[in-house]
Amino acid sequence: MSAGRKLSWDWFAGTIPENVIVDETAYIETTFSFQFFRSIRPGGVAYGRGASTYLGTMFDVGPQGRVTLGDYALVHGARIICDAEVSIGDYALISWNVVLMDTYRVPLNSHERRKELELVPTRLLRMACADVPARPIRIERNVWIGFDVCVLPGVTIGEGSIVGARSVVTTNVPPFTIVAGNPARIIRKLEPRTTLPHAPT
Amino acid sequence: MSSTQHSPINGWPCGTLPLNVVIGANSLITGELAFKRFHSQLEKALVIGAHCTMDGVHFDLGKDGRLVVGDYCYFTNAVLLCELEVRVGNYVVIGWNTTITDTDFHPLGPAERIADAMACSPLGKGRPRPKVLTKPVIIEDNVWIGPNATILKGVCIGAGAFVEAGSLVTRDVPARARVLGNPAQVIGEVS
Ligand SMILES: CC(C)(COP(=O)(O)OP(=O)(O)OC[C@H]1O[C@@H](n2cnc3c(N)ncnc32)[C@H](O)[C@@H]1OP(=O)(O)O)[C@@H](O)C(=O)NCCC(=O)NCCS
Repeated sequence: MSAGRKLSWDWFAGTIPENVIVDETAYIETTFSFQFFRSIRPGGVAYGRGASTYLGTMFDVGPQGRVTLGDYALVHGARIICDAEVSIGDYALISWNVVLMDTYRVPLNSHERRKELELVPTRLLRMACADVPARPIRIERNVWIGFDVCVLPGVTIGEGSIVGARSVVTTNVPPFTIVAGNPARIIRKLEPRTTLPHAPT
Repeated sequence: MSSTQHSPINGWPCGTLPLNVVIGANSLITGELAFKRFHSQLEKALVIGAHCTMDGVHFDLGKDGRLVVGDYCYFTNAVLLCELEVRVGNYVVIGWNTTITDTDFHPLGPAERIADAMACSPLGKGRPRPKVLTKPVIIEDNVWIGPNATILKGVCIGAGAFVEAGSLVTRDVPARARVLGNPAQVIGEVS
């Protein structure tokens, strides 16, 4: 058994879970982000080159969930509720207080939901984890998500797009598009980017 | 730099105010985090008038940010993000968990945003960040801003306007108008 990976600068006395892949150039502000991480999948979270997660980011990932962070992806403080898959592309910028959820964790039917809620207090880790369908979220590369945004299950946000602050994204967003509002609507198109810049060495 | 002499109950009981903060008579700032992200290097970067209550407010001023608040203002747990300039008049109320920002923080253009993602990354040490749009925010006298509201860059809220809870304001609000929604719409006048 390994002693577990700790971070020398961490204020929280935790470790990085064994099935989390961290590129040597990535940055994790605190292992507190893994407090609700329960995935047993290989690479339950995978950090790309130069990817980073800051305080406020929570990987609330169920046993079969998996989160990928692309190269240079910056997550400033999102709660990632994931029972299937949440992929965050290269150069994505995710702001503070963002919620990305690929599942509701409780049944939509209120009778079923009551049963689940009665089970929560009997569990060691007091969480809802009903067997409800999860639908993957895909945040493509170069996407920017503003503060306080919520992205609902099954949503794909296309390459280069922007989600304005405090929006709720309920449907797919095409590439190179600005959306905003609750529910989020298309504001305007962006000039698509043609080339990728050189990476820092 | 001179700042007004504080009586024991005013000022910031949680610590020593940065030297470039000027606070008027009988004004109080509370909360440990008030200056956690205060980076302004301007002289008189933050000027607060007299008889103000700044309860749990975050003064997140960038290097060149300036924030001026008038007299008799009452803010609770607001987050004030200021890279350029935010000016608030007299008798202004700002509710819980409201965010006011004079910048977008990142550029809109996809290519510039990639350059910014790299500059902000752990590998970006010292890389210059691309320019980001900032526009001053102005809040005139007697404005009321409810809880969970958001005021974005360049907005001017006219005197006496009423910004309802949860509104997200991207456009100027006329004096005495009542606005609501995300994005906020004018729904009437203050009676
Ligand atoms: C999305 C955003 C970047 C767009 O900026 P912009 O292109 O300058 O937008 P404009 O101010 O010209 O607004 C264009 C339209 O979109 C609407 N709009 C813009 N942002 C909106 C938002 N967040 N929610 C709802 N509507 C919004 C405006 O009301 C306007 O509509 P109108 O023409 O019908 O009045 C910006 O509004 C935003 O959300 N900034 C905050 C970004 C952020 O979260 N930064 C923090 C951390 S990384």
